[in-house]
Amino acid sequence: MGTDASQRAFARALTDPDAALPPGVIGSAARFNIHRNNIIASLTALLASRFPVIRRLVGDDFFRAATGTFIARHPPQSPVLVEFGGAFAVFLAAFEPAASLPYLTDIARMEWARHAAYHAADVAPADLSSIARLDHDRMSLLRFTMHPSAAIVASPFPILSIWRTNSFDAEVRPIALDAGSETVLIVRPHLEVITASLSAGSDIFITALATGATLGDAALAAADHDPAFDLAATLAVLFRKQAFAAIIPSTI
Amino acid sequence: MDRRTANLAIASTVMTALAKATAPATAEEEMEQCYGISKAGQNDCASTGDTTCAGTSKVDYDKNAWKYVAKGTCEKITVKLPDGSTRTGSLVPAKS
Repeated sequence: MGTDASQRAFARALTDPDAALPPGVIGSAARFNIHRNNIIASLTALLASRFPVIRRLVGDDFFRAATGTFIARHPPQSPVLVEFGGAFAVFLAAFEPAASLPYLTDIARMEWARHAAYHAADVAPADLSSIARLDHDRMSLLRFTMHPSAAIVASPFPILSIWRTNSFDAEVRPIALDAGSETVLIVRPHLEVITASLSAGSDIFITALATGATLGDAALAAADHDPAFDLAATLAVLFRKQAFAAIIPSTI
Repeated sequence: MDRRTANLAIASTVMTALAKATAPATAEEEMEQCYGISKAGQNDCASTGDTTCAGTSKVDYDKNAWKYVAKGTCEKITVKLPDGSTRTGSLVPAKS
């Protein structure tokens, strides 16, 4: 067996307790099991630190079982473990035992966005004082660069309410899932990760801005998509939470 | 609404948003800030640094269905099903 093949067999056996002892391993299976369990335990602890609300929602046993399956199907693809767990939300969406908790995947996206924001590049947020001096006639032509840590998670479920009570309340408050959709901004302009509520349709608005649309065009796209879109409220949150890295005036 | 009127409406909305953004924080936002600080100490080293001795030779995870019964706080979150009935989030093992 060549080096590549033997390394692949070794790697496969690391996440599968039923796999045979990989070729070339010296000593008893018990020794290899210790190594394998260290890896599973480390990765499980990592996921527990990245997805604390998911863990609280489903309990320890379910979380361990779900993360065990996830680790086996999606082992780390990078030696940088900060990148591990990005696929957990997509995994949960298709994970049959979690099918009766349809909001789990959006909570996982939120928790991953918070983790990614924590590790995103440090960039000073845009200076807002320049806006007031701009020509009002051209304000709809403004373009914005999102802060590299900024992310939006839109959900048909009240994910921010679920996340908040599970993050901060010793005893969670009851929440009815038909309480409605919630759209969440996650950003880290300075040292702290900020989680804030946004108006419906703001995900369309921000996606348009992030892909280079002007303020006017992005506002129209969001209003077309959701008549409840509130431009003033959305901009107020984005300004206050410092979600922009740059504000680019029109040059024409 | 002509183009100029639309532009001025956007401008006035932007100025309103700026004024709101620089106004004192609401109680809810103050709370969020406190939460942010309490969470800021989290990092990967702290959460994974103590697990190097966690492994044993015991097979660590089995695939028993009972582990797929959610016993967490999801029971406090009420799911409304498409037929209008409600149920709580407790999970049962998948039946095949």
